Amino acid sequence: MHFTENVIIGLEIHVQLNTQTKLFCSCPTNASEPNTAICPTCLGHPGSKPVLNEKALEFAAKLALALGCTIAPTVTFSRKTYFYPDLPKNFQTTQYEVPLGSNGAIVLDNGKVIHIQRVHVEEDPGALIHEAASVLIDYNRSGIPLCEIVTAPDMNSPAEAREFLKKLLNILGYLGVYDVNNGVVKADANISIKERNYTRVELKNITGFKEIERALQYEIERQKQNEVKLETRGWNAEKGVSIFMRSKETEEDYGYIVEPDLPVFEISSEWVRSVQQSIPELAEQRAARWIKDLSVDKDDARIIAANLDVAVLFETIAKQCEPIFSARWVRREVLRILNDERKELKETAFESSSLIKLFKLILEKKITDRIGQRIIEQLATKKFLPAAYVKENNLAMVADEGALKNACKNAIKNNPKAVEDYKKGEEKSLMFLIGQVMRATKGTAAPNVVKELLKGLLK
Amino acid sequence: MIKQYVESAKKGAVDLLEQAHKALEETQKINKEYRYSAAFADPVAQAEKLQQQAKDGKAKGRLFGVFVSVKDNICVKGIESTASSAILKGYKPVFNATAVQKCIDEGAIILCKTVQDEFGFGGFSVNTGKGIEKPLNPIDRKRTCGGSSGGAAGLTKKATFPHLALAESTGGSIANPASFCGVAGLTPTYSRVSRYGLIDYANSLDKIGTMALNVNDAALLLEIISGHDPKDSTCSQLPVPSMADVPGVISGLRIGIVKEAFNEQMDNNVRKTILEAVYKLEQIGARRIELSLPLSMNYGLSSYYTLAMTEASTNLAKYCGLRYGASEQLSGTYNEYFSRVRTSQLGDEAKRRILLGTFARMAGHRDAFYTKAAQVRTKIIQEYHMAFKNVDVLITPTMPLVAPTFEELKQLTPLQHYMMDILTVPANLAGLPHISLPCGESNKLPIGIMITANHFQEQKMLQVSNALH
Ligand SMILES: [Zn+2]
Repeated sequence: MHFTENVIIGLEIHVQLNTQTKLFCSCPTNASEPNTAICPTCLGHPGSKPVLNEKALEFAAKLALALGCTIAPTVTFSRKTYFYPDLPKNFQTTQYEVPLGSNGAIVLDNGKVIHIQRVHVEEDPGALIHEAASVLIDYNRSGIPLCEIVTAPDMNSPAEAREFLKKLLNILGYLGVYDVNNGVVKADANISIKERNYTRVELKNITGFKEIERALQYEIERQKQNEVKLETRGWNAEKGVSIFMRSKETEEDYGYIVEPDLPVFEISSEWVRSVQQSIPELAEQRAARWIKDLSVDKDDARIIAANLDVAVLFETIAKQCEPIFSARWVRREVLRILNDERKELKETAFESSSLIKLFKLILEKKITDRIGQRIIEQLATKKFLPAAYVKENNLAMVADEGALKNACKNAIKNNPKAVEDYKKGEEKSLMFLIGQVMRATKGTAAPNVVKELLKGLLK
Repeated sequence: MIKQYVESAKKGAVDLLEQAHKALEETQKINKEYRYSAAFADPVAQAEKLQQQAKDGKAKGRLFGVFVSVKDNICVKGIESTASSAILKGYKPVFNATAVQKCIDEGAIILCKTVQDEFGFGGFSVNTGKGIEKPLNPIDRKRTCGGSSGGAAGLTKKATFPHLALAESTGGSIANPASFCGVAGLTPTYSRVSRYGLIDYANSLDKIGTMALNVNDAALLLEIISGHDPKDSTCSQLPVPSMADVPGVISGLRIGIVKEAFNEQMDNNVRKTILEAVYKLEQIGARRIELSLPLSMNYGLSSYYTLAMTEASTNLAKYCGLRYGASEQLSGTYNEYFSRVRTSQLGDEAKRRILLGTFARMAGHRDAFYTKAAQVRTKIIQEYHMAFKNVDVLITPTMPLVAPTFEELKQLTPLQHYMMDILTVPANLAGLPHISLPCGESNKLPIGIMITANHFQEQKMLQVSNALH
């Protein structure tokens, strides 16, 4: 391969697929107590045999198809042999010769195409728990399905690698094949720089998409300042450094052979079609459609589309309520509340029907924005009819000049300093006075009416 | 005959408790002289339960009250199962192999585990694991009983109580000891019997089969353990034909005589005896057709050993003294620890096969050895399929000679050991069903005749077997 860029990065990413059971046995994947979700198969007992969880294959195929990959006509598994205490059989059952998916891509915002060479499924080893004097092994993780995604060396900066990973995670979440909250994502990076003649270093064990940028930035700096050898290094997130693991000469030979306990799985085009049909419209396509067809603000569209549940909620709302306005409110209020509370949409009481009713009250100027915000906070926790709530709590917008005049006069009387400042030409002070009126009216006063009234009274 | 015994046992006409005590005592007595058994199950407790069922008129099952011994590499729940390897010492499986469970479901009494070559690595049961005594030939204790299912064959020959054996063959490990011990040994088509619970030697070659004093008893057991099992993804879904009591009618049946099998290195008596048997079959209506299987006979052994050792080297990786079986004082790094355990607990032949098998799959050698061997296997299967267009079964001797003495074996190099499998390996490599039957004697030592059929044509080899007897 001929490179000209300053930095060359390729990624190998592992994500856990969120199937109910493990890849080759029926142990659950959600156990918390160590070594409770284990059986002879995921412990590698003599005489145990693997039975493929077809759901895992389906999930991986879903991802491969969403990334535009070609699906192989047959799937075979292989044994990758290496000795490690977290690996019960001392070989990992993975895919070697032909991956499930190949030749896909993700396009970055700057238009750069990051090619995806392979997408395959394999089993996760157990987890090592380092304690003061010993190492404990939890085999609950042993056999959890992993999806491996390998890119071409198409990225040229840590920021691009981060964007790639973020986009990938977004797709995974959208497809429902990955647990966005608890799922683990791990990356190994191949990285080389022009200054060192593109001598390639493999950087292992980078966890999470935020770490990737940091780890790559560190490694680029390290390479600029040091002699670079063909080697494998490990990322230590705690210390923020990469550590030498092994040189290429002592690279392990995994001695791959075909897994003889599993048959060759034929992949029918029918099956591929049905998996394809189960893929929802992805975030980027969805956002683009809203921008084009509904004239929704670009940022609003992208941010809403990134969360599948919220995207679906928005689409329902936008069918009955002005889309640009709805998008703004969904992004600024609904998503804000979800972020603040660290909750999924499903964990709140939000539903499209009451949000539509609320948005209409705001649009029709029956309530002020401020009251709208207050009600939306309430809608996150319980279900009720916004109109009835407004009536019960006297929250309807007050736009009648007569009714607001007193409140305005009081505000002027009680805040002589602000009045003085305003008269000196400070517009900010007018906003302060409006705020005082809003406060006095519990947010029900129509802000533009108040503004005009105050201006008149202060002339 | 097992069938008659089962009928009377079901009626309550047999004292199963007395039978169990007798079986246990006799097996232990045989063991002292011949060393066929590894761990023992609790036959008396099982017999008590069955006795009660018979009393209550609830006796059922085609193996009701029959004693079944289980080759040590087939898992029996709660009974130490080590594949005759020191590295699995103390390992008690937490589940029954499907074949074992099927026997229990038919009313069988599990008697004991039987000694074998460590993990199946051998043809003479002289490669038993560290600290495990070699079983001796039931006719002449100075001789080998064959292997690797040596304990199974020896016990089958010696037991006078109603006994059947679960055995296993990767490259000939049922036919070989059946021949040397003078019993019937049945190896099914690969995938006919579930391998769930079989301690792997070479997964693409391993087949659980059966042994008995006569063909029909072994066939009954094979019929029982055959059939699809969702726990073994490679297990065949094809329906299981009736195997017990297949009529020995062979009129018009075409018998293939493999030319390469009757070469000069063969014991003269063995050759003569087998050809006489073929002549007898011709007399009763079979047609004799000579044919040649050059690929199978010339390349079968090398392809087989390459594939078997390659798979074995990955299968044995899990035995590292960490989760089950033998363990030692924890010290040093993980690599140092498991190397120490494997060095002290595995036998020489196991080590040899791990080394050769690992070599054959390393990046620089994989294409030349592992991949090539797999391609040769495909060609050999094709050669057999072509042959079975013209013949119904193939007949060869099982072994080129009668059971050798331990002294004679010592003179052989490992390669010469492997060469003894020349007749049994090709059919095993191709996954073809085959049977070895006692067929005459040479100096009072049994000679085995091997009948091989096409995939899933077990009935044809049984037809010929029953015509011979
Ligand atoms: Zn499990």
